[in-house]
Amino acid sequence: MNRSPIPLLVLTLAPALLGLAVFRAYPIGLALYESLYTTIGGERVFAGFDNYLMLLTDVGFWKSLRVTLWFNLIINPLQVALALALALVFVQKLPGMAFFRLLFLIPIGISLPVAVIIWRIVLLPEGFLNGALGIVGLGPYRFLTSPDFALYSIIAIATWKGISYWMIFLVGGLQNIPPEINEAARLEGASPWQRLWLITLPLLRPTLLFVLVADITINFLLFAPVFMLTGGGPRGSTNVLMYEAYKSGFVFGDMGRAMAIVVCLVALLLVIVAIQFRLLSSAPKEAK
Amino acid sequence: MTRLPMLTTALALGLTATAHAETTLTVLMIEGLDKGAMEAVAAQYMREHTDVKVEIQSLPWNQFFQVSEMRLKSKDAAVDLIYTDAPVVASYAANGYILPFDAAIADDAKAKLVAPSVATGTYDGKLYSLPMNSSAQVLYYNADLLKAAGVTPPKGLTRDSITKPDAIAQLATGDRWTFEQVAEAAKAVSGDEGGKGKPWGFAFEQFAELYQLQPLGASLGSELISTDAKTADGYLNGDAWTKAATWWSDLFNKANVSPRSLGFGEAAQMFTNGQLAMFVGGTWNVPAVAKSSINFGIAPHPKFADGKAATPTGSWYLSVTKASPDTAAATDFAKYAALSDEGTDVWFKTLNQLPTTNRLLDQINADPAFDAFPANVMRLSAWESRNTAAPRPVTVAFSQLQDAFRTAFTDIANGVAVDEALGTAVDAYNEAAARLNRK
Amino acid sequence: MPPILRKALIYLAIAAVAFVFVLPLWWAILSSFRPNEAIFRDLFPFTPRALWPEPFTLDAYVAIFERGFGTIIANTLLVAGLTTALGLIVNGLAGYAFALFEFPGKSAVLGIVVVSFMLPFEAIAMPLYSVVSQLGWIDHVAALVVPSVANGLAVFLFYQFFQQVPKDYYEAARLEGAGWLRILWSVYVPLSLPTCISAGLMLFIFQWEAFLWPLLAMPAQQFKVIQVGMAAFQDQYTTAWNQLFGAAVITALIPMLLLIPLQRYYVQGLAGSGIKG
Repeated sequence: MNRSPIPLLVLTLAPALLGLAVFRAYPIGLALYESLYTTIGGERVFAGFDNYLMLLTDVGFWKSLRVTLWFNLIINPLQVALALALALVFVQKLPGMAFFRLLFLIPIGISLPVAVIIWRIVLLPEGFLNGALGIVGLGPYRFLTSPDFALYSIIAIATWKGISYWMIFLVGGLQNIPPEINEAARLEGASPWQRLWLITLPLLRPTLLFVLVADITINFLLFAPVFMLTGGGPRGSTNVLMYEAYKSGFVFGDMGRAMAIVVCLVALLLVIVAIQFRLLSSAPKEAK
Repeated sequence: MTRLPMLTTALALGLTATAHAETTLTVLMIEGLDKGAMEAVAAQYMREHTDVKVEIQSLPWNQFFQVSEMRLKSKDAAVDLIYTDAPVVASYAANGYILPFDAAIADDAKAKLVAPSVATGTYDGKLYSLPMNSSAQVLYYNADLLKAAGVTPPKGLTRDSITKPDAIAQLATGDRWTFEQVAEAAKAVSGDEGGKGKPWGFAFEQFAELYQLQPLGASLGSELISTDAKTADGYLNGDAWTKAATWWSDLFNKANVSPRSLGFGEAAQMFTNGQLAMFVGGTWNVPAVAKSSINFGIAPHPKFADGKAATPTGSWYLSVTKASPDTAAATDFAKYAALSDEGTDVWFKTLNQLPTTNRLLDQINADPAFDAFPANVMRLSAWESRNTAAPRPVTVAFSQLQDAFRTAFTDIANGVAVDEALGTAVDAYNEAAARLNRK
Repeated sequence: MPPILRKALIYLAIAAVAFVFVLPLWWAILSSFRPNEAIFRDLFPFTPRALWPEPFTLDAYVAIFERGFGTIIANTLLVAGLTTALGLIVNGLAGYAFALFEFPGKSAVLGIVVVSFMLPFEAIAMPLYSVVSQLGWIDHVAALVVPSVANGLAVFLFYQFFQQVPKDYYEAARLEGAGWLRILWSVYVPLSLPTCISAGLMLFIFQWEAFLWPLLAMPAQQFKVIQVGMAAFQDQYTTAWNQLFGAAVITALIPMLLLIPLQRYYVQGLAGSGIKG
């Protein structure tokens, strides 16, 4: 590592840092500031930490926090594991793979709202999936309107939409692993499973860390499917915190409470991401 | 008067049309037919006022409230007039987004417009929004499906019907079906396996929405909240609403005659496909239904057997924003669009939605052009808007009330007990009302 | 396990996954070839005819392009293309600097960069609107492109990759007297192509799916992007389902077609890795 001339540093860092400062950091600062205000009878009033203190006794907030944690506990490992499996299949050189690779890429270009619209029709009580299950004598299931199913239906939709996208990052990471290492291990008689666990995964660690951090962030902040499909119901079973914040701010016009919720959510997210960095970012070279 | 952002925008787009106009007004609308109608009104206005240029901006319906709220909140001086849905008038007024009209305009409005429409535009004793049109809901029925199930269809307006004003009154007073009749007929059509082998019996167009279902309680004589808007306790969870919600629950959980969730427009689509025997929906569905091959009829909105007739009402308003740099010019345009004979004529002819001016409502009643189908549906709607309209409550916490109501009625349809769901909704509303009204 | 059976099992698994991926879209494609009134006809109740475009019509596609969707797609490609190109340069340079240079406060700045993408866009949309309108960019393409160029996640992605590249490469090039730009261009960029594709995809898809921001930043709607254009298929009372699905099919195909030629950067030289054996 070397010390560098200041002009060079400015030249390389300034565009990105300036952009982030003006279009991210400054608006974020304003948003944090907003969480210290409240609206009373049309007047904007400084409230200090009242918005936060009110959350402590807010039953809806705590219930929603539980839903958020459960949702993320399931969806993040699921998406990363499936994306990894898909990535390993994607790089195989089998006859006909080119065609399948194409199919794997389909969900990337479909925006989440459109994916939700399509999946809603698939999952309706009278929809596509129940119709098909009905032919074999099953159902009908209330995928979106029963408290037992709704959250899992949303997980399924977000996973369908997400895994191709994360797969691309993991495929990129696999590309960075020198083929010679795998080849050497194969010649030494390591089974495919051994090579996966002892070579591929350790060497893929930086990419896995990236995908995990990015994916968990996106899922913590995800609320479009809830907004479009269940409105947080039935019985609050899909009411994730970000939806609670969205409703507070944009439906109820209570920006102070909304920002306070967002700040709590991001704080929680930071703790989880910090733990992931601890666990995953040690040097990945020991696998040799 | 010119404004820098507007000017740079115009220059950037290579538009030079603003050169001779002294004032530019921007109206924020929802995309679609409403936008087109406002453009027609604006064109007419500009012919009479050559020193003013009226521009129409629009947002998609699904995002209108969120994005317009952001622009209002950031005191965006580029929006002079905003298209305002009836229930958000109070919240816009309380948040200081829009300006009240002066007493002269308020008196003019009271003289020219039907009372419920003026009431909904009023907050804290002042008129904040001028109504552009109203709305009415009717019962659409598939005569063939009902007859096949052994049910005599209700009396209504059909494809070739000619209906004089007194016949409309008879239809709405003597021949109105009850919700109990609707449920029985729905059961006859769909048996107990609605949607699987047989068609569904009945649906409301806007699933679990307050606008759509408020007449259930209103028919039994109950408001949703107290007159001071402080509490819903004893109203939304009172006897009347409990009975109404139980009737709603039975549609799904006992009789199984109604689909559990419907997106906007899906009820009409199922109806025109012959998959749904009856639905309560807005008069805006008439063209699509009339175009289909279904042998249909249009009957008045149902009521409970031991209740009175009550129908949904209220639609869109026009308000002047506080941030507008030229509120006098904006107010003049709002007056023109909502109160003048020329403005309301152009709006009504272009959009063909239920008007709010007594002049146009009288015209609909008297003019023989409204004898024949489908214009006679407008005549039925006009009758309802003057006799049975139940306006939504005016409260700063309306969004919370609407959300709590939707959650409760969705949960009830999904099997949650009526008492529990209504109780939760009352708590949610009371908490929000207390928070917003604290001093 | 005999190799034939193994192979058959692998194919079966792949085909099953592909089926799940495709099925919802298959129905959307078929529906886009039906008239709008017939979209739900075979769904409630379900008949296998729902899987066949009958009656068949191209009306939806005609209507989509009559609405000016061609221009809308071109607009979006312009915005997404510009963002991707500028974003790769700006974020790539920053990632390079973070990975190779030492300076005081580096880890703190890097930390802030990473955290900056963890706030929901909804939370900063309104303050951002104020910033952009003070710059006078409302209704200009710059309002869509410039705020999205610098991306903390992309910086992090490049940083992570450049950090993995053995430092010997850099030192060797330095000894040969190469300047930093030359080292970046001739040593690091060729190595980082897969990372560039990942970062480019991220920047591109962000713009491809952008919705709330274009609605706010382009109020005159003279310049529409895809998601805004598609929102118009659903109005207050009706939905043009067939057009919505048709547009969905078109918008899904474009990123896919752009990714296909890039595949060769992925699959080359991978013969020995993965689970193949």
